[in-house]
Amino acid sequence: MVCSVPAPGRQRNSPKRGPAGRRPALRRLLGRGLGLAIAVVLLVSGIGLPPPATGPDILMAPGFAHPLGTNDIGQDVLAGLLAATPNSIAIAFLAAAATLALAILGGLAAACGGRIVQALVLRLVDILQILPSILILLVVAASLEPGLVTLVLLLALTNWHDDVRVVRALILRELTRESLQQARLVGYGWFYLSVRHLLPPIAPELRALALESVRRAALKTAGLGFLGLVDPQLPTWGGMMQDALGHLTTPAWAWLMLPPAVTLALFLLTIQRLSGDPSGRTAAEAEA
Amino acid sequence: MAAGFPSRAGRMVLDRALALLLVVALGFLLPRFMPGDPVELQRASDLDLGLAAAQRETLRQEMGLGGSLGEQFLTYCAALLSGDLGFSVAHAAPVSQVVAGALAWTSLLVLLAFPIYLLIGPWLGIESGLAPERPLGRGLLVGLSALGSVPPYAVSILLLWLLAVAVPLFPLGGAEALLPPADPLVRIAGVLHHAALPALALATHEIVRFFFLSRGATLALSLRPFVINARARGIAGWRLRVTYLARSLAPVLAGRLGDTLAGQFSVVLFVEIVFSYPGIGLVIHEAIRARDLALLQGAVICLAAAILVLNALLDGLAGRLARRG
Repeated sequence: MVCSVPAPGRQRNSPKRGPAGRRPALRRLLGRGLGLAIAVVLLVSGIGLPPPATGPDILMAPGFAHPLGTNDIGQDVLAGLLAATPNSIAIAFLAAAATLALAILGGLAAACGGRIVQALVLRLVDILQILPSILILLVVAASLEPGLVTLVLLLALTNWHDDVRVVRALILRELTRESLQQARLVGYGWFYLSVRHLLPPIAPELRALALESVRRAALKTAGLGFLGLVDPQLPTWGGMMQDALGHLTTPAWAWLMLPPAVTLALFLLTIQRLSGDPSGRTAAEAEA
Repeated sequence: MAAGFPSRAGRMVLDRALALLLVVALGFLLPRFMPGDPVELQRASDLDLGLAAAQRETLRQEMGLGGSLGEQFLTYCAALLSGDLGFSVAHAAPVSQVVAGALAWTSLLVLLAFPIYLLIGPWLGIESGLAPERPLGRGLLVGLSALGSVPPYAVSILLLWLLAVAVPLFPLGGAEALLPPADPLVRIAGVLHHAALPALALATHEIVRFFFLSRGATLALSLRPFVINARARGIAGWRLRVTYLARSLAPVLAGRLGDTLAGQFSVVLFVEIVFSYPGIGLVIHEAIRARDLALLQGAVICLAAAILVLNALLDGLAGRLARRG
C-alpha cells in the first residue's frame, strides 16, 4: 500500500525515453526503486515499534547523550521521532488507501446503482458532509483510544464521503466512452468493466484525491494524538507534540515540539509537491 | 423557483435534523462503551466522598445510567427535547449553563478572527497574484504554503511562545484576569487583550486559505481586459488593489465563508487548549479527560447544532446572492 502511490509516476516516465536515453532512464529507475525500497523497508520495520524507554534524565536539553533532548519521563526525543515517523506515515497512507477504496465503492454505487441506491448514497454523503468530521472523530476516539488499525478505519469512515461526489462525476464522464459501451455489449461483468475500463482512465485524478487524503489523515492523526486520544502505546507525531503542552513557559517546549512539528510539516509539504499542484490550492482548501 | 423552494428548504432541514440525530446517537452510544465505569472513576478521583452502595445507585440514576440501553436513550432524547442537557458532575453545574458560557467565549474568538483573516488573507493573495514571478510574490507563496503545512496547535504554541513568553506583550492564557476589574471599560480592554493571541492563532489557518483563493482569483483577473486596461493607464497602488481587484474578489470570498465556519470550529478546539481559553473546545477537552459523559455529549451536540444552523443560514444567503447574480 505504502509504495503504491509513487508507482504510477515511475511507469509513466519510462516509456517516454527514446532508445538513446534508455540507460540513464534505467539507472534513474533503479536509483528511484532503490531509494523507494529503502524507504519502504525502513517504514515497515519501524511500524509498531514500542515507545522509547523511559529514564532518569528528564527534560534534558539537546546534547551529546540525547541529540534532540528528552521529555518529562526521560524518553529520548530522537528515539521517539524514529518510532513515531513510520507509524504516522503508515497511518496516513493506509487511511488514504482505505478512504479511496470506500470512495470508489460509493462513487460506483452512486453512478451505476439503481435509482434508490443512487439517491440513498448521495443523501448519506450530503448528511455526512454537513458535519465537521472532527466532531465525530473526537467522540469516537475519546471512547476507543484507537490503535493503528482502528485509527485507519476511523479516519477512512470519517473521510470517504468527501470524495464520493468527485469520483461519481469522474465515473459518469467515463461511462459515456465508446470503448466501455462496447465492452458492456460484449457482456463483461461490472467488476471487469470497472477494473479494466472505468478506473484506469481516471487513475491520475484518483491519485490526486488519494494524496489529498494522505494530507488530511496525517493532520487529523496528529490532532488526535495532540489531544491524547490515540493509544499511548502507539508513538505518533501528535502524541509527541502533546508532551510540549505542559512546558510552554520553559525552554523545553522547543525541543519537545519542534522535531515532530517540523517532520510533520516536511511530510505534508512533500505530499503537496507529489500531488503536483505548485499553488497548493486544493490541498489548502481540503484542510478546511 | 417558487415551486421548488419549499421542498428544497424542507430537504435542507431534514438533512440537518438527520445529521444532528447521528451526533446524538453517537454521543449517546459510544461513551457507554468507554473502558472504565464513570461512577467508579468519579469515586476514584478526588471527588470520592466515601459513597455507600445506595448513594452510588442514586448517582448512577442522576447521571442517566440507570435502566436498559433503550430506556436510557429514550429518556435522554426526551430530556434533550425539553432543553435539559443533564448535569455536569465535574463542574457541579447544569451542562446547558457550562456550554452556554463556553460558547460565548468561543464566539468572541471566532468573531475577532473574522476581520483578521478577511483583511490579511486577500491582501497577501492580491500582492502575490499581481507579481507572481517577483521575489515578493514567490516568497509569499512559499511562506504561506509552509504555514499551511503547520498544524494549528503548533502555530498556537509558536505564537504563544513568541508574543507571551519571549516578548511578554500578551497574557499566557485565560479569558480575563482572575479578579476582573470593576470598571467595565477596563474589563473589556482586558478581555480583548486576552483574546488577541488566540484570535490571531485562529485566523492563521484561514489566512492561508483566503491567500490561495485570492491569489488564484487575482491571477485570473489580471488577464481580464478591464484590469489590463487599468494597469496600462498607470493605475496602481491601493486604487488598483481595492477598487479593481478586491471589489471583484468579494463574491468569490463570500461564497467560501460557509466552508470557513466548520473549519474554524475544528481549529478553535486546539487553539483554546493551548491558550487555556475557557471556550467550547477546552470544555470538550476537559470533559474527555474527566470522563464527564453528560458534558461531553451536551457540548458536542450544542456545537453541532450551532454549526448546522449557521451553515444553513450561510448556505441560504449564498444561494440568494448567487440567484441575484
